[in-house]
Amino acid sequence: MHSVTVNINGKECNAREGSTILMACKELGIDVPTLCYHPDLSIAGNCRVCVVEVEGWKTLVPACVTPITPNMVVRTDSTKVRKTRKLLVELILANHHNNCPECERNGNCELQDLAERYNIRFNRFQTDEKPESSVQVSSAIMRDNSKCIMCTRCVRTCEELQSVAVIKSVGRSSEIHIGTFDDKGLGDVACTQCGQCINHCPTGALYEKDETVPVWAALEDPEKIVIVQTAPAVRVGLEEALGLPIDHHTGKMAAALRRLGFNRVLDTDFSADLTIIEEGHELLFRLKDALVEKKEVPLPMITSCSPGWIKFIEHKHNDLLDNLSTCKSPQQMFGAIAKTYLCDKEGFDPAKIVSVSVMPCTAKKFEKDRPEMNDSGFKDVDYVITTRELARMIKEAGIDFDHLPVEKFDRFMGDSTGAAVIFGATGGVMEAALRTAYEIATGEEIPFKGLNVLPVRGFKGIKEASVLLPDEMAEGWEFLAGVTLKVAVAHGLANADKLLKAVKAGEAEYHFIEIMACPGGCLGGGGQPIPTDMEKRMERMRAIYAEDESLPLRKSHENPEIQLLYAEYLKEPLGHKSHHLLHTKYTKRDRF
Amino acid sequence: MEKKVLLAENQPEFGAGLEKALNMTPADVVYEVRDSGMKGRGGAGFPTGVKWNLAGAASSDVKYVICNADEGEPGTFKDRLLIEKYSERLIEGMAMGGYAIGGSCGIIYLRAEYPYLIPVLERARQNFLDRGLLGKNIRGSGFDFDIEIRPGAGAYVCGEETSLIESLEGKRGEPRNKPPYPVNSGYLDKPTIVNNVETFCAVPHIILNGSEWYTDLGVGDCTGTKLFSVSGDVERPGVYELPMGAPLKDLLELAGAEDIQAVQVGGASGATVPASGINRTLSFKDLPPGGSVIVFDSTINMVDVLENFMDFFVHESCGQCTPCREGNLRLMHAAQDIINGDLCCKACMAPYFELAEAMKISSKCGLGQTSANCFVDIVNNFVELSDECHCGEYRCEGGDE
Amino acid sequence: MVRNPKEIVTEGISEFGNGRERIMQILTKVNSELSYVPSEAIEAIAEATNVSAAEVYSVVSFYSFFSSKPRGRNIVRLCSTISCAMAGQGDILRSLIDEFGIEPFETTGDGRLTLETTPCIGLCDQAPAMLVNGEPHVKLTPEKACEIVRGLE
Ligand SMILES: Cc1cc2nc3c(=O)[nH]c(=O)nc-3n(C[C@H](O)[C@H](O)[C@H](O)COP(=O)(O)O)c2cc1C
Ligand code: SF4
Ligand code: SF4
Ligand code: SF4
Ligand code: SF4
Ligand code: FES
Repeated sequence: MHSVTVNINGKECNAREGSTILMACKELGIDVPTLCYHPDLSIAGNCRVCVVEVEGWKTLVPACVTPITPNMVVRTDSTKVRKTRKLLVELILANHHNNCPECERNGNCELQDLAERYNIRFNRFQTDEKPESSVQVSSAIMRDNSKCIMCTRCVRTCEELQSVAVIKSVGRSSEIHIGTFDDKGLGDVACTQCGQCINHCPTGALYEKDETVPVWAALEDPEKIVIVQTAPAVRVGLEEALGLPIDHHTGKMAAALRRLGFNRVLDTDFSADLTIIEEGHELLFRLKDALVEKKEVPLPMITSCSPGWIKFIEHKHNDLLDNLSTCKSPQQMFGAIAKTYLCDKEGFDPAKIVSVSVMPCTAKKFEKDRPEMNDSGFKDVDYVITTRELARMIKEAGIDFDHLPVEKFDRFMGDSTGAAVIFGATGGVMEAALRTAYEIATGEEIPFKGLNVLPVRGFKGIKEASVLLPDEMAEGWEFLAGVTLKVAVAHGLANADKLLKAVKAGEAEYHFIEIMACPGGCLGGGGQPIPTDMEKRMERMRAIYAEDESLPLRKSHENPEIQLLYAEYLKEPLGHKSHHLLHTKYTKRDRF
Repeated sequence: MEKKVLLAENQPEFGAGLEKALNMTPADVVYEVRDSGMKGRGGAGFPTGVKWNLAGAASSDVKYVICNADEGEPGTFKDRLLIEKYSERLIEGMAMGGYAIGGSCGIIYLRAEYPYLIPVLERARQNFLDRGLLGKNIRGSGFDFDIEIRPGAGAYVCGEETSLIESLEGKRGEPRNKPPYPVNSGYLDKPTIVNNVETFCAVPHIILNGSEWYTDLGVGDCTGTKLFSVSGDVERPGVYELPMGAPLKDLLELAGAEDIQAVQVGGASGATVPASGINRTLSFKDLPPGGSVIVFDSTINMVDVLENFMDFFVHESCGQCTPCREGNLRLMHAAQDIINGDLCCKACMAPYFELAEAMKISSKCGLGQTSANCFVDIVNNFVELSDECHCGEYRCEGGDE
Repeated sequence: MVRNPKEIVTEGISEFGNGRERIMQILTKVNSELSYVPSEAIEAIAEATNVSAAEVYSVVSFYSFFSSKPRGRNIVRLCSTISCAMAGQGDILRSLIDEFGIEPFETTGDGRLTLETTPCIGLCDQAPAMLVNGEPHVKLTPEKACEIVRGLE
């Protein structure tokens, strides 16, 4: 694309030919308002608030759609443009349940921002009643169509990023709404509960099911022992959600949780390390069964830590369920171990434990309610709140996060390694697994500079890597000598879908695949701060790898508390106890 | 006064135009059509030759020729008549379009309200196949062409060409963003021409008689003849053919309009002309002649007409873009308020005129860009607004700036 | 005999193909045979054309002639746009409502009849007009319209 001269708001400037007027304005620092536009998604051009005046056109044109042409003369600030935009915002608001003070997105809403920017003090078109709230509930995702402005960002998210496509525009004209097949609830269709639609919604029409209320109640209850775990990606999103400058301080997060009154502040990173031990061995044993015992083993083995992904495969590719690792997700491993091992160690009565999990993810809310997730004899995890919900609790409690001291996690389930931290980024589980599995099988450190397995990092939709195993192997793993281990990583369910189709078609052969439901991995999860876009994902990813590098221990099997757990309780990876507490099975679900 | 071509008693044989075209180069067919100055007969009035030239220049192994037979503009039925009587002419014109742009797939998108025309079209296709005027290697020219009839399912907006294409692709009939234009990326992303039934029907006549002949048929630089569907308060409702550029008066005389309060030209999305305007001309410069002419006599309350039209647009908006989805609804409520006497002063009306303007300039497709026309025309010409506010409505306060 | 929706879809697919661009044709076939498009048909079409059921449902919901709810064996569509309205459509509608006891978009208890109003059906020169199962009836009077509807199976 070459540069051409255009005139915007009376100034000659250069813009790239073929890029949209919106992009050109952005590069030139001219703010054009948008609602249906989202940088992650295709262009819909339906809200029309981005209209601008272009010389030679009878009508205004949408800046998000219209390409720059040489010598174009554009006005983004004329009276005509301003008046039209204002009127459009009035029209939207006139058919909108605007109760900002009671709204999920109060203070962080693109529509509210526009109402403010265009000084809507009096809506000339507010002639009849505002629509009433109509909240549809599912296990994690709430939808209130009275707040929906029909920008279709959620529809495009579900289809383009996630290839789930369970939500669509239904009906037409004034009856139009976002609906599902037969207008069923999201819980009754193949929705993965990933929450990406929430993150991409400009308004309060989509939000997570709130679980802060029972968490507050548990914290108040002197009879209860309330423990909390926080996922790797939460620590790189929390400050953003609090509206604070970002220095990614895990220690402040631990301090805040303690101030909130949690009796034990523990870490999902601990159980991420545990997952690696179990999953790494599972992979090695599957390879052994295949190569030595010549058994029909389901390969490639596919990771199972992302509950949105699990629900996706259960609906859409359930012929491959045997390929899934039987490992529970780190959240659920944590839950099962906390109500058994931790109670033993701390002398807690498991019946009194309330296990709370803070996640970057909405699908984890669904996961904790799966009927099989009670291997501890209790519900393994009681409540799941998102990064956003935790931020709300911290604000509500009046905790001055910025000035908190740096504190540590509590013992027995609080230690972690860099390998666990990187679980929060796409490719992280793969990298962590390779660091451990390679070392188990060869007795040597994985031969990547600084342990950084760069080929599986970054935002490419599908990443591949191969690791040549040496001729000298550790005892018991000689059969792997000289084998090239082939792995792949996909993030965002659309990429996962593509990858699985390639595998099924025999176009690609791998031993091990990592899949995360959300673009960028958990750092871009459906429970993360809004907005989440490429810029934010990149920033969070940088923070994750920086934290990994900064830690003294960077391999899961070096985690001392994990070593203690095996020595005192689990005995061995994939052993009897592990099998009972840490592994699970999957359910076939309907395609639609 | 009636100068007939499409509806002439003595018609050239079906297929004669195609046979002549096959002896010309495709480019010459395009040029002849271009030189005729014919503008599309579906309402938007885009020069047909220019469209065909663009599609011809697009490089692709597959190109589509689509006939827009979704005739949904209220008061329009000329395409129905053409298909009933001249479906072979239509198929002939489409084949010529295919030859001109280098496409061999023709599709007729027929509105669901006309299922009884399917057998008529099938028969015409079979006749052409039997005569070797459709199919492979037509008349040894090496040119292949066939057509398929595809149904709509009741959506006015599917007459908009990109919405029509979406519908053909099995989707909701929601208009696309432009660019890309169909001539470059249309049906299944291939170069596509979409033309009205009448447009295709005129092409064989142009090729047989020459572009100059066609140009001379019109008045001034409006070329050719045009079909008008006339209904409402007239003696002889029906389809009339007049030179393009003829005065509205001539048409009204033919159809037998005696008592005229207003005339709706171009359907609900066209212009509402008060009786004083009947000397205006039916041309793209003056009253864009979509094909529908509805006459209202003095017994009619024009605000009832307005409500009927706004109800139509509220029903038919695809609903994807803000100004049209929300705007039509507001204008319909305003029409009802006028009827109920709740909206009667200039100050209260002002926001609705502003809304009408915003819809016109910010809607995504022609539907929303034109649906407020009748509101503005009818309120301006047929509603008396007082200077002082009697509405007792809060709307008079506030307002913009 | 009312056929199984899946059977109709299968037949439609062999007739028209299973590309997504065939969805309108298959839906039209199901809709005209059963008077509506049941969920089973939507699922079968989605499966065959490799799109989601939500997508097909969304398409069905867009077009006035399709319905995802059961309708009567006979569908009467009375034009309600201006030329027909001026020619007395209102009286016809009222007498149909009175005689058959249903409002527009309702179905008689015996499943014989669904009454609908529709925008312009292109018969304005012979207003008022209606379509009965797709067949045009023109220059209607209330008596004539009721008689036609009475005669339906
Ligand atoms: C809402 C809307 C409805 C339309 N309906 C029709 C129609 O029924 N028939 C038609 O030929 N063109 C219709 N058009 C115009 C088409 O978009 C397109 O311009 C036309 O089919 C091109 O053919 P032509 O150049 O031969 O006129 C409609 C446009 C809009 C915006
Ligand atoms: S969605 Fe936005 S504008 Fe609407 S009520 Fe919520 S905060 Fe206010
Ligand atoms: S939660 Fe995920 S799968 Fe469900 S509707 Fe939203 S984007 Fe689609
Ligand atoms: S729910 Fe949100 S993202 Fe989806 S269409 Fe409505 S406003 Fe847009
Ligand atoms: S103007 Fe109306 S019909 Fe056209 S795209 Fe917008 S909502 Fe749809
Ligand atoms: S942002 Fe351009 S139309 Fe919505």
